[in-house]
Amino acid sequence: MNSFAEINDKLIESTIEIFTGMVMMEVASAGDPLEKIGPLKKSITGMVGLAGTHKGVLAVHFPNEVALAVTSNFLGMEVGEINEDVQDAIGEIANMLGGNLKTILSDRGRDIQLSLPSTIFGDEYAFSSQAESEQVILPFQSPNGMFYVEVELER
Amino acid sequence: MELEQYLVDATMEVFASMISIDIAPEPKGGGLPAVAADISSLIGLAGDFKGFLAVHCPEPVALGITSAMLGMEVTAVDDEVKDALGEVANMVAGGLKIGVATEGKKIGLAIATTVVGKALRTGGLSGADRAAVAFATPLGRFGVEVRFVLS
Repeated sequence: MNSFAEINDKLIESTIEIFTGMVMMEVASAGDPLEKIGPLKKSITGMVGLAGTHKGVLAVHFPNEVALAVTSNFLGMEVGEINEDVQDAIGEIANMLGGNLKTILSDRGRDIQLSLPSTIFGDEYAFSSQAESEQVILPFQSPNGMFYVEVELER
Repeated sequence: MELEQYLVDATMEVFASMISIDIAPEPKGGGLPAVAADISSLIGLAGDFKGFLAVHCPEPVALGITSAMLGMEVTAVDDEVKDALGEVANMVAGGLKIGVATEGKKIGLAIATTVVGKALRTGGLSGADRAAVAFATPLGRFGVEVRFVLS
């Protein structure tokens, strides 16, 4: 399996690409990968599962104000609250990131399938996966605040 | 496809073999059951049956399930509880996988993640279908939900 260090660089690159190309938003990697993230407050998480030769989850955590800005940019319409449009947009971003992760992990993405994206949101929540997985959390800076891309892969 | 029945069978089987708590599926009323959740475990489903499965529990039910699984009293939501609920989602998804396989549909399972929070809500893509079953236990209700697209 690829080392996480190699995955990290490619994932940072593809996150920036997706935001520049699809969301029309300039984002930048904001520091070293984290191993843990505290409880998420007033946030929304988009996640997509990976099955096949690599089993895991890709999640992207946005504070509400960043999620609203991302959705407004992505859909080209103003959104003021966490509604179905925001859930769809954040789910779609998780889906695109998952698609790229699939290609990073396996040549041309063969032998890995993605699940449908899901979203979770609430006033405060903690996110964790089952014990036997490796994880990495990549922080990014957007014009509206930080957001995080998290990958968990079964060992 | 009798999805609700697969969810009921898979969940009953998991409890019968691993978790000594009496559970009963609630009769299907009008609409899908709503269950207030403090802990949700989700697992991605890929392949012919693309989506995710979620188990939604209020805290007392999550603590009861964990205590019954581990054979010791658990009184606070800690890593053990998250692991236990993740394992329940994983096993129920495994049961669903067997159920839909009888109709020639293959499911690949991702790994389970557990979310603990307040005022937790989950959603899927707006185009996906949804099936859900609520179960009654002596400790309260919990819900099993699947959102999916068949291909």
